[in-house]
Amino acid sequence: MLDRLSPEALETEPAAAVLEARGLSVATGRRPLLRSIDLRIEPRRVLGILGPSGAGKTTLLRCLNRLVDLTPQLAVSGEILLHGRSIRGREVDADALRTRVGMLFQQPVVFPGSIADNVLFGVRHTGRPPRREWPERIERALGEAALWEEVRHRLREPAASLSAGQQQRLCLARTLAGEPEILLLDEPTSALDAGSTAAIEELILRLRERHAIVLVTHGLRQARRVADSIVYLAVRDGAGEVIESGLCQDLFSRPRSPELARYLSREPA
Amino acid sequence: MRRGIDRAFAAATGICAAAVCALLLGIAGSIVWRGLSVLDWRFVSRLAAGAGASGGVLYEILGTLILVATALLVSAPLATGVALVQAVYLETRPRARRWLFVALYAANSVPSVLLGIAGLIVFSRWLGWGKSWLAGGILLGLMILPTVSVALIERLRSLPRRYLEAASGLGLTRSQVIWSVLLPQSLGGLVSGLLLGLARASGETAPILFAAAVFSGAGLPAGIRDSPVVALPYHIFVLAQDSLDPTVQDHLWGAAAVLLALVFALSLLALPVRLRIHEEAKSA
Repeated sequence: MLDRLSPEALETEPAAAVLEARGLSVATGRRPLLRSIDLRIEPRRVLGILGPSGAGKTTLLRCLNRLVDLTPQLAVSGEILLHGRSIRGREVDADALRTRVGMLFQQPVVFPGSIADNVLFGVRHTGRPPRREWPERIERALGEAALWEEVRHRLREPAASLSAGQQQRLCLARTLAGEPEILLLDEPTSALDAGSTAAIEELILRLRERHAIVLVTHGLRQARRVADSIVYLAVRDGAGEVIESGLCQDLFSRPRSPELARYLSREPA
Repeated sequence: MRRGIDRAFAAATGICAAAVCALLLGIAGSIVWRGLSVLDWRFVSRLAAGAGASGGVLYEILGTLILVATALLVSAPLATGVALVQAVYLETRPRARRWLFVALYAANSVPSVLLGIAGLIVFSRWLGWGKSWLAGGILLGLMILPTVSVALIERLRSLPRRYLEAASGLGLTRSQVIWSVLLPQSLGGLVSGLLLGLARASGETAPILFAAAVFSGAGLPAGIRDSPVVALPYHIFVLAQDSLDPTVQDHLWGAAAVLLALVFALSLLALPVRLRIHEEAKSA
């Protein structure tokens, strides 16, 4: 496993935020789901989002690449900045934004077709890179997702023939093929066994060298293993709020809020 | 007591299913049995003669295929458009979506003879086509449009939302998601709808009565204007009015059996496509 930067190093090397949410609120009709969320995502760091079910972690993640736009019932307010520029304006191309802010879902979603077809699914439509570079892109993306050695001789086989863990890594390869700058991972190991979970965690640490990563997770051990900093969400007055945020080690060792202390006591990290 | 009610309910549903199957087999068997005396290769490969009392039904088969193929070509793209508007583009407008659905069901309940009269006015008179195979194909296509559209809409609605989100999450535009995810995955609904529509279109007489079909004197169409076709349903309709003549009656049942076989054969032709789609859907 790769070494992580020490908390001291993180504190002494403040970096400009790649992605930032300021006063972000989400509501469906009159019912608030998220209230005044502030968070910063720095380059080459893993930000873990923790919290109980129903706290709005997935909704928050979907706001960060505007996938929330696909659910018209949700009203979003506040600001989300990518390199200091708002992504919420009408003039911003949400589809282009999603190629820069890639997402991996809780359940692996493979499309009908071969393994190679799945890796190229996004880049084939966005036109990047040109067709002559596709074989190289397939190898690179599968390599980054630690799947190349397992599937290099069966790229034309149906993607559905892979195991659940391999499918999740294939989905990661498909996202990486688009060369996103930021990765949003929505409980990517919740449907996987221990071996596949360890493989994905290893990958997250490796991918951190080149990407900013936001990881929604329920696993305290997982958060401790891979996250540099943590945002803890919990429901207050009917809506998800940031209860506490900070460096991973600080939050786990000295929780300031009773909610987080209670949450941490459920599972020894 | 509860088990008794359960068994009685199961028996009642079984009787209903058996009654439908028996009715279907009875009608099909009766048609084939009565037409058996004329059914041979010569019947399907020769032209009609003696006002349908002798000869075969070759041109009637070809005419029916032309009408049905045209109807499919007309309805498939229109139904796809209607279904996409209903299921995708009106996603944020539930009221408009509901109205479109109501309109589709209303269109489905329009009596086919009214469609035939509308065809007579629009195609034969306004456009001056006279009787034309194209008018018949368009009318049949419009007639089956609601059936095909609703089947496709239901399929689009049943697609797991995760496909849509996964594709959008990769940066695909809405039209790219439609072309690369929604349409390929809903092909099964389109094929099912077209098969249902085809079965109905190939047996309809009223829509082609005024604007497309003649009983005799037509070969293969050479153009659009004044290019009628002879078709099996219209052939059967005319022969049925003269069914007291035993020779004609044999040909009537023979033509009906051929029409039945034609619908069955076309459904069988689409079977590999449906099976492939089903397998792909299962493995996804």
